Amino acid sequence: MKCSRTIKSLTVGVSLTLLLSFSNNESYRTEHNVKMPYKKYGYTDRQAAARLLDRFSFGARPGEVDAVVNMGIDKWFEQQLEGADTDTEVVKRLANFKTLGLDNETIVNTYLNPGQIVRFAVKNGLVNKDSIQADKKAYQDQLRNLMQQMGLRPLQELQTELINQKIIRAAYSNNQLHEVLTDFWFNHFNVSLTKPQCVQYIQTYERDAIRPNVTGNFSTMLLATAKHPAMLEFLDNASSVSDKNRLVNKRVEAAVQQQLEKKADDMQSAGSPLAPFAQQAVQARKVQGLNENYAREIMELHTLGVDGGYTQADVTAVARALTGWGLRPLVKDAPGRNLYERGLQNNFGNRGFVVEKDFFFRADKHDDEAKTILGKNFPANGGYKEGEEVINMLANHPSTAQFIAKKIAIRFVSDTPATSLVNKMAETFRKTDGNIKAVLITMVNDREFWNQKSSREKIKSPFELAISAIRATNADVQQPAQVFNWINKMGQKIYFYQAPTGFPDRASYWINTGALLNRMNFGLAFAAQKIPGIKIDLAALNNNHEPESTEDALHVYSNIFLPERDNKQNIKRLTAMVADQSLAQKINDAVEKTSPMQQQTEDNMMDAMTAVKRNDDKLALNKKNKSIITATLPGNNSMMAQVAGIIIGSPEFQRK
Amino acid sequence: MQNRRAFMKQGAMALFASGIAGGIPSFIARAADANKIFMPYKKKKVLVCIFQRGAMDGLMAVSPFTDLNLKQMRPTLFMSPAATEGKQFDLDGRFGLHPAFESLYPFFGEGRLAIVHGVGSPNNTRSHFDAQDYMESGTPFNKGTASGWLNRAVGLLGHDATPFRAVSITSALPRSLYGDNEAVAINNLQDFAIQMRGNPLAANMVAGSFEELYDQTTNKLLNRAGKESFDAMKMLNVNNIKNYQPSAGVVYPNSPLGNSLKQIAVLIKMDVGLEVAFAESGGWDTHFNQGAANGTFARNAKDFSDSIAAFWKDMNAYQDDVTVMTMTEFGRTAAQNGTGGTDHGRASCAFIIGNDVAGGKVYNNIKSLAKEDLEDGRDLPVSIDFRASFSSVANSHLKINNNKILFPDWKGDGLNLMKG
Repeated sequence: MKCSRTIKSLTVGVSLTLLLSFSNNESYRTEHNVKMPYKKYGYTDRQAAARLLDRFSFGARPGEVDAVVNMGIDKWFEQQLEGADTDTEVVKRLANFKTLGLDNETIVNTYLNPGQIVRFAVKNGLVNKDSIQADKKAYQDQLRNLMQQMGLRPLQELQTELINQKIIRAAYSNNQLHEVLTDFWFNHFNVSLTKPQCVQYIQTYERDAIRPNVTGNFSTMLLATAKHPAMLEFLDNASSVSDKNRLVNKRVEAAVQQQLEKKADDMQSAGSPLAPFAQQAVQARKVQGLNENYAREIMELHTLGVDGGYTQADVTAVARALTGWGLRPLVKDAPGRNLYERGLQNNFGNRGFVVEKDFFFRADKHDDEAKTILGKNFPANGGYKEGEEVINMLANHPSTAQFIAKKIAIRFVSDTPATSLVNKMAETFRKTDGNIKAVLITMVNDREFWNQKSSREKIKSPFELAISAIRATNADVQQPAQVFNWINKMGQKIYFYQAPTGFPDRASYWINTGALLNRMNFGLAFAAQKIPGIKIDLAALNNNHEPESTEDALHVYSNIFLPERDNKQNIKRLTAMVADQSLAQKINDAVEKTSPMQQQTEDNMMDAMTAVKRNDDKLALNKKNKSIITATLPGNNSMMAQVAGIIIGSPEFQRK
Repeated sequence: MQNRRAFMKQGAMALFASGIAGGIPSFIARAADANKIFMPYKKKKVLVCIFQRGAMDGLMAVSPFTDLNLKQMRPTLFMSPAATEGKQFDLDGRFGLHPAFESLYPFFGEGRLAIVHGVGSPNNTRSHFDAQDYMESGTPFNKGTASGWLNRAVGLLGHDATPFRAVSITSALPRSLYGDNEAVAINNLQDFAIQMRGNPLAANMVAGSFEELYDQTTNKLLNRAGKESFDAMKMLNVNNIKNYQPSAGVVYPNSPLGNSLKQIAVLIKMDVGLEVAFAESGGWDTHFNQGAANGTFARNAKDFSDSIAAFWKDMNAYQDDVTVMTMTEFGRTAAQNGTGGTDHGRASCAFIIGNDVAGGKVYNNIKSLAKEDLEDGRDLPVSIDFRASFSSVANSHLKINNNKILFPDWKGDGLNLMKG
């Protein structure tokens, strides 16, 4: 409510903002409870539990529907909103990870990319620059030894752990809603491993800027992302600076620049190995100026939405308000690090510099002049506070409420959510100053969430598909990298989405020709345990009781993997296809009896299409034609795997 | 419909006999119903785009060798047609082609190769990520553009499509193909099948089950994609790909680009409806020891050139339908750096190959490499907007004419790189 107006008049800033929104939440919580009207809309307790698990977890585990019913449907959701369950399984599986608790400074000085390692080696005279030949083994060995001595680690390790921890948490965490929301908000505030400048910070970005805020206050999360090195680098705000600044003495600045250029030129003529880097640094310094990338995206993608009512002039003004927002020099011995350390000792002469963890506001690079943003005037010399005020204004803008409400509804309800639902959620967003928990409660309490029509329209993303298969089978994942490979193959290279938009959240993006076949193949490979490092025990899921027939297996596993869905039709159809042993026999007969005539016709057709021979394959198939029978014999383990694989690859399992 | 299903059932029986994974594509089935075989997708024009990731040194690939400034700035990297200076191919008395492009050089003389020089983005970013992003989205000042320019081009084709209309031989969809129009990213065409290792017959049977299930699902999207997937799978008999033999005498380099182009050739020859293809070539970020006549750059250039030349020869009877266009995010510094390489610069050059190309010419507005003519005193400035080059090729070859959609914020004129 009008609380935001009060804040604007306060100069005390962030602590008060937090305090106010906090008290607001408290009052909200006592007024509103989770009271889901599922019965009114024709759901049984079990059906409601299954639906909640479909949407707010990465998939139901065997027996989980009953567990939710026993706990109480509303209570389960409240508990998930809190997200405070102990996670012994996750703790155990992440115990050997080395990077999860590190800070940015340790990471950038330890986990280096190959280029940085070479630079480091050349700089310290440890490798002769003429011997640099990345493809020579001796050289590679030399580098590896060097890294060991210096305590350096390859960047790859950091990336692998980032990816693996996400897979493990999603598969095994008890706080499923928090995992789902971490995935959602990370994607909303997307940063990408494809951009070298930000790769080292993505681990801490998810951990510190996203994860703690997923059910909290939207503006807190927005500000946390804005100030995190990953976002500052990904959308270039770290390099957005201005010289419209009273602290800058232009004459001195020009002299410094000239000196630096001369130094770099001298290094070049002296043939110094560091010359290129000096040149680059000098160049970077010179081309520095306003960069509008972040300003545009914070409005278009993070808050107001593309039709949220801002102009190009607003983009430029927001960019100017955020000039000087960067990160402190984190690399030891990097240019500027000593300067920074000295500045820190005297609080930068009390000239308005701000240091907060790794965020560094460079007051001397900030545009001091007055600005107008979305119709509001910001007087000159606003310093750091000005940017913070702009971000809070964007977070609490009515367009943001609408945009965020819709995005949440798209994720959890339908690709095309009802306007009435979005409006109600947006209203809650406004009334609570962007309390995400309150918005989610409004959503589940609404009839539209329980609308049977939209109940099966959401399609799982490849990540959701893979994790739901792991959960449905109680699989033991020892090599999460293998899961990543499949997710990538199915079209979702997590953490690598290049555009700041994040992965699109709509079925038509995920479901296309190549991807769909890969989903089916994933189901088959997964169930047949052909994916290394993933163990499942299908018999154990059925109390160590082997299904007596294919039909029986279809019943058993459909009901375990797809609880509370209408599986009858599928089972009926599949039974006819899979279990018909006489069909297998007929096929074998056909293989032997196919008349040359018939084959000829087909050859013509295929030749017309491809003009490539395939006689060899025919022979190969004839030799192997026995396997189809064994594959469908009841009680045969590969029969169970085949059935399980078909269910996981089936259309029904792709739906949320 | 009933006819079709009946046929499919028969087909399903017969397919085991003939070893065609998955059966007969439904469009062939329909054709067979009507007692005729037709090739609905034959003879489509194909645009093949190759992205040279890492920023190719355009001044080394195609050197303005008469400019004395270049020799001065590149004491060990400078090359020219002179026997003592690396024996470049003299293109027109002013520009020389690096000798490692030997296999492409004849195309220039035959008028099938056009070179665009001084080409790049108006956005002066020297970040690989940003520059690639801008070039692929086709909007150099707007990062939020959700779609890629090639995806928009696909949307403008304006006729029915097969699942293979737009294909990228990469594991993930490249930024250029992000968007609403269907595009397939696949690293290896052999993955295009229902796979059960060591049990191909069971795979056939399972494929049948899946086809049935997707045919019956009430979800329209899954239903349609399912149909297309099984059609695609049948069109693309994996065994044919495995055993693919290029045209006589064609040897593709055993490199990522060579393999990608070979797979594109398979798709084209199978007449599966390919119209836009995408492949990548890496290793162009030559900060260290890039070498002159030999070395990193020369090795990359040879692979690049040999791969394209092999592809072209393999295209054989299809050559009239195919145009190849290369692109790279930016060029490199005019001067060499302290480690025998070059750093991130601005403009580079691009190669356009095809029978419809108005080739045999280096299209450029390059003045000189004197310091005052360089951007920021160090880089070959961008004197041709990449969109002028892309739009000329795409519009003419694919017969689309809507620069407003292709490149929304651009109002410039296209080059005339194509005949007619």
